[in-house]
Amino acid sequence: MTSVFLLTLRQLSGKWRLAIMAILATLPVLFTALIVRSGTAPSVAEFEVIVLSTMLAGSIAPLIIVSIASVAFANEIEDRTLANLTLSPIPRWQIVVPKLAAAVAVAAPFIAGSAFLTSHLAFNQDITATFAVTVSALVGLLMYASVFVWLGLVTRQAIGVGLLYIVLWEGFFSGYVSGIRFLSIRHYATALMHGIDPRRFAEGQHVNFGIAAVVALTIVLVFTALSTRRLRRMDVP
Amino acid sequence: MSTQPSPVIRVDHVSRWFGSVVAVSDVTFDIRPGITGLLGPNGAGKTTLLRMMTGLADVSDGSVTMFGEPVRDNPALYGRIGVMSEHETVYSFMKGREFVRMMGRLRGVKDLDAATERAIELVDLVDAAALPMGTYSRGMRQRMRLAGTLVHDPEVLILDEPLNGADPRQRVHFQSLLRRLADGGRTIVLSSHILEEVEQVAETVLLIVNGKLAASGGFRAIRAALDKRPYHVRVVSDSPREMAAAVVRLPSVEAVNVDPDGAIIVLCNNVRDLQVELPRLAQAASISLRRVEPLDDSLESVFGYLVER
Repeated sequence: MTSVFLLTLRQLSGKWRLAIMAILATLPVLFTALIVRSGTAPSVAEFEVIVLSTMLAGSIAPLIIVSIASVAFANEIEDRTLANLTLSPIPRWQIVVPKLAAAVAVAAPFIAGSAFLTSHLAFNQDITATFAVTVSALVGLLMYASVFVWLGLVTRQAIGVGLLYIVLWEGFFSGYVSGIRFLSIRHYATALMHGIDPRRFAEGQHVNFGIAAVVALTIVLVFTALSTRRLRRMDVP
Repeated sequence: MSTQPSPVIRVDHVSRWFGSVVAVSDVTFDIRPGITGLLGPNGAGKTTLLRMMTGLADVSDGSVTMFGEPVRDNPALYGRIGVMSEHETVYSFMKGREFVRMMGRLRGVKDLDAATERAIELVDLVDAAALPMGTYSRGMRQRMRLAGTLVHDPEVLILDEPLNGADPRQRVHFQSLLRRLADGGRTIVLSSHILEEVEQVAETVLLIVNGKLAASGGFRAIRAALDKRPYHVRVVSDSPREMAAAVVRLPSVEAVNVDPDGAIIVLCNNVRDLQVELPRLAQAASISLRRVEPLDDSLESVFGYLVER
C-alpha cells in the first residue's frame, strides 16, 4: 500500500495545483482578518453561516478536495498507467485506500491550516472553538474525498461533475431546501463542529454529534467500498 | 511420441462488443509455453483481445482462463503475469530504477534490489536507470517499461506492440531476450501488425482480422498460404488492348480487365512469373510499358485474403 500511496502523493503534488490550493485556502483567513479588523464584527451565528459553513465548508474545502481527489484515479485512467496498479497481485481495496489517503494527505494541510487560522482569528484564540472547526473541516475533507475519488472512477468528467455538485447541491439546494440538508456533506461537517463545541456554536438546527459522526463514517466507508467495487468491475484502459 | 505441453491460456468463444460495434467475435484458441505471435492489421481487435486475456477488460461472452483460473478480477494470478500495454505513457517524474523498483514492490518481489538490477540489465539500460523517465527516448521508455514487466520474473508475458519505437539494434536485442525467456519455459504472447516482426520470433501465429481468428498455426504454414494468394497488378502501357491480349495467355494469369482509364488490371497467382514475362511480352509486341504496380501489398489485403479462404 505504501507504493500506491507514495506514487499518488507525487502525482497529486504538482506545483500549480499546490499553488492554486494555497490561494484558495488563504481566502477565508484573509476574509476573517478583514472582518476582525473592521470593528463591525458579526455574531457567531452570522460568522458561522457566512464564513465557516458557506465559504469554508461549502466552497473552499470542497473545491480544494475536488481538484485533488477526483484526479487520484482519473489522471491514471486518462494517461493509461492505471494498469500498472490493477495488474498487481493485491486486493483492489489496497489500491483505493492508499489513493484516498494520499488525496487526504495532500489536501489536509491546506484545509486544516485554513480552518485553524480562520477560527483562531475569529474566536480570539479560543482553543475549543478552533479545535471544533479544524476537526470538522478534516472530517468533511475525508467525506468529500471519498465521494470525489469514487467520482473519478465513474466518469471522465469528474471535476466538472464535482463542481456541479458543490455549486448546485452543497451551495444552492442544501441552503434553501431543508430536506436536502440531510443529504449534504457540509451539513454533517458543521453538525460535528456544533457537537464538539456546543457552548460556542449553540444556534441553528443540527443533528447531534453522534449521528453526524456515524453518518460521516458511513459516507467514507460506503464510497470507499463503491470505489473498490468499481475498480474490480471496470475496464481498465 | 512427442506430447504437447498443456495450454497455459485458454480463450474460449470470446466475444466483446462496445454498443453495436463488435470488436472481437467468437474467438477460440489455446496458448502454450513458447512465443505466440498475435498478428493483425491496426484495428483488428488484437489489443481488446489482449486486454481480455489479462483481465483488464471484461468479455461480453465466452471465457478466458490462465493456469485454469479465470483472469478477470483475480489479483492472486497477476503475480504470475507480466503485461506491457501498447500505451507508451510513463511516470515522467520517476527515475527508471525507481519505476522498476515500484513495479517489483507492487508485485511482491522479495529481493527487490537484486531483481531491479537484473531487470534493468536484461533490457540493457543500466546507464540510464538513474535518469527521470521523462527524459527518455521512445525506445528507452519501452525498454524500461519492459524491465518493469520482467522484474518479478513472470511465467506469462503479454506484450502489446512491444517493438514500437525500437531501433534495429534494439529489435535484435529484444528478440534474442524473448527467445531466451521462452527457452526458460515461459509463455509469451506478442502482438504486432508487422508480419516480419512476428515471423522472426514467434513459433505459433494467431491471425486476427476484423475481430475474428482468421488463421492459426505454425508460421511456415501461414507463409505458404500467403505465397499462394492471387495478386492484382495494374499495368499501364500505350496499347492496353494488345497488352491485355498478350498477358491473358500466360499460365499464371487468371483474369485481365481493362480499366476505363486505359490501364489493365491483371489477376495472377504468381507475381514472380508476371514480373519476368511482362517486359518480354511488351518487347515482342512493340508495346511501351509505362507503369506496373501491385495493388494488394497492404497488410489488410493479405489478412483479408486469409479470412476469405
